[in-house]
Amino acid sequence: MSLLSAASLSKSFPGVRALEGVDLELRPGEVHALLGENGAGKSTLIKILGGALVPDAGEARLEGQPLPLGDPLAVRRRGVSIVYQELTLVPELTAAENIFLGRERGRPLLRRREMARAAQALLDGLGARIAPGAPVRALSLAQQQLVEIARALAGESKVIILDEPSATLSDPEVERLFAVLRGLRARGLGVVYISHRLEEIFAIADRVTVLRDGRRVASSPVADVDRAQLIRWMVGRDLREEFPPRAPAPGDAVLEVRGLACPPRFTDVSFTVRRGEIVGLAGLVGAGRTSVALALFGALPGVRGEVRLDGRPVRFASPADALRAGMGYVTEDRRRRGLFRVLSAGANITISFLRSLAPLGILSPGRERPAAAAAAKEFDVRAAAGLAQPAGTLSGGNQQKLLLARLLLRPRRLLVLDEPTRGIDVGAKAEIYGIMNRLTAQGLGILMISSELPEVLGMSDRVVVMHEGRTAGELSRAQATPERVMELATAG
Amino acid sequence: MTRPSRWLANYAIFAALIAECLVLALATDAFFTESNLANVVRQNAFTAILAAGMSLVILTGGIDLSVGSVVGLAGVLSADALARGASLPVGVAVGLGVGLAVGAVNGLAVTKLRVPPFIVTLAMMLIVRGAAYKYTNARTISGLPASFAALSQGALAAAIMAAVFALAWLLLMRTPFGRHVYATGGNPEAAWLAGIRVHRVLLAVYALCGLCAALAGVLVASRLGAGYPKAGEFYELDAVTAVVVGGTSLFGGRGSIWGTLAGAFFIGILNNGLNLFHVETYDQLMVKGLVLLAAASLDRWRTEGA
Repeated sequence: MSLLSAASLSKSFPGVRALEGVDLELRPGEVHALLGENGAGKSTLIKILGGALVPDAGEARLEGQPLPLGDPLAVRRRGVSIVYQELTLVPELTAAENIFLGRERGRPLLRRREMARAAQALLDGLGARIAPGAPVRALSLAQQQLVEIARALAGESKVIILDEPSATLSDPEVERLFAVLRGLRARGLGVVYISHRLEEIFAIADRVTVLRDGRRVASSPVADVDRAQLIRWMVGRDLREEFPPRAPAPGDAVLEVRGLACPPRFTDVSFTVRRGEIVGLAGLVGAGRTSVALALFGALPGVRGEVRLDGRPVRFASPADALRAGMGYVTEDRRRRGLFRVLSAGANITISFLRSLAPLGILSPGRERPAAAAAAKEFDVRAAAGLAQPAGTLSGGNQQKLLLARLLLRPRRLLVLDEPTRGIDVGAKAEIYGIMNRLTAQGLGILMISSELPEVLGMSDRVVVMHEGRTAGELSRAQATPERVMELATAG
Repeated sequence: MTRPSRWLANYAIFAALIAECLVLALATDAFFTESNLANVVRQNAFTAILAAGMSLVILTGGIDLSVGSVVGLAGVLSADALARGASLPVGVAVGLGVGLAVGAVNGLAVTKLRVPPFIVTLAMMLIVRGAAYKYTNARTISGLPASFAALSQGALAAAIMAAVFALAWLLLMRTPFGRHVYATGGNPEAAWLAGIRVHRVLLAVYALCGLCAALAGVLVASRLGAGYPKAGEFYELDAVTAVVVGGTSLFGGRGSIWGTLAGAFFIGILNNGLNLFHVETYDQLMVKGLVLLAAASLDRWRTEGA
């Protein structure tokens, strides 16, 4: 008998098929692991099950009755609770207030003592030593997670879905969480547990379902599989010929990093990027790769260790200094950290080097416009209404090319590209890869952070793998197989 | 949003200003006279100058509530220096200097102490007003030279206002600094990663806003013929109203200096027109409040449409 069953769920977003005919079956008293690379469709699946997204096709049933998909509140009332990766507690309220948020007891006056007692009972049941009156902001992340779970249980949940709960937890905290999950399992609840960490799957899960590229690849009892099999399922696609051939001719080292640290984000990172070379920086989300990029770019305080640019030791106090020295960084988060959405596309291109376009301190449109137009042409930025169009209205691919045009308005020695093809369509991806090849042919060094294995393997001349804040290993192009990269990324 | 409605949203204030003038010119005999128009310009030049500085701050996503108090303190200190026999340039420079200093302190508190601008400048509003009263013992400083009074005569006041707006336009639209102001207001994190020294930009806009407030304060003192510690009370609200009615977004990154000028005069002419129609002061306040609410809703609508 299945507790929760999903049948042929499909969901598309503009330009992406996020989920294609996915089935999932959860039995009572089972911890079911959901496994897959970044972008495999895990988040989409649980958002559908939680009622936050409406599927294009397919249905889900709880104890045989159809779930009202698309109505988060109704789904929750039926007993399906989701603990999302980003916690959703109100920090200024107490643990008890958060647990009963939205279903307070007592009208018109709150029965505070009754709720505190009930919260205490729930928290005790989880083995959590948390006072119900403690403000949530004073709790550790692990404790907050337990409050979230208590909240899920207060609603009499039958199914609890945990989205990468271990990403923010230390090992002992993970152990405690597992003890809680075993307790829930013994009470006959169903638990869906999402994680990247293979060892956790073997420690807690009864069955595992693997997603890849929006499809279900396999479902199996955990006892029947081994680590190698799981990795094969996760990455086992053929690398299609979507990457242009590279003919690297690496020169001298342009960037040398030795023992770089910025605790607690990352603790020991060393690698080298040579002229004309693309070095892939691989690892799981949360391994510290973006922090490394920001630290190199002068955007993080408290950085230790040695960085040499073209052989000279450097330590940038701000992105402005890094830009002046010939470095460039393209963010993984265009919307929040890259674009000025209201400013014109042209103004977005020239923003970093305006002073050089303003002799005597006055900007002249006669200088600025041709400079922006030339850069837009070189990087093939297409804006329907011309460069006066607000940057926020361009397509994702054109926005990304816009950011490259901005950096390369003046010559660069080194580029750090953080998820350079995230959220852009296949055609634009190929263009970005073409640009990367052209730039390295001109002698630039590129450090490419990517969570897409095919991209890492298809574009990198060497691959550096990070695991939990350290460089776990380095692979040449020949050595770099999906399995080797995944092994280093998951086990260090 | 469709093209025509976006155009309307962006230029609404200019259309409203023109419509307002047309209505008043047709409906009253008194509006379109040289003396009334000169009066309108003279009365609103000070608010407009304050609003020019406020525009810079609001474009970065901040606010400056201390400008009204700076009007009072700068006027008092200028008047005091002149009454003690300082030359006109020195007397004016004293007032402007104190405004610049107060603005710089605002900017430092916002960037270094990371206190929200609303709170920093609210505190500064109280401190500076208190200082103006303490310095004068709440008395009026009079006995100022005739050359000082000439500063705020109609034509000169209008010329000073025009110069302030011309400079503000040049700064915002034709210098790297101006572009950095828009970028900082539009997306501070992206601005920093794009190599803009965001803290310097913020420090400069608060200092310039203080300078504009001090200039308005000196002109107010010139107009009153005295340093008056109470001068400029609630001017900060008039300045914010002019900027918002002029179409600048309180969220930062969007707006124009000409919109601010139009906003200041829209409110000024509204007051003038309501006076000409003998509408009571209390009703005028309510009308102003409604206009502000309408302008802010328009901004909200425009922001969501983008």
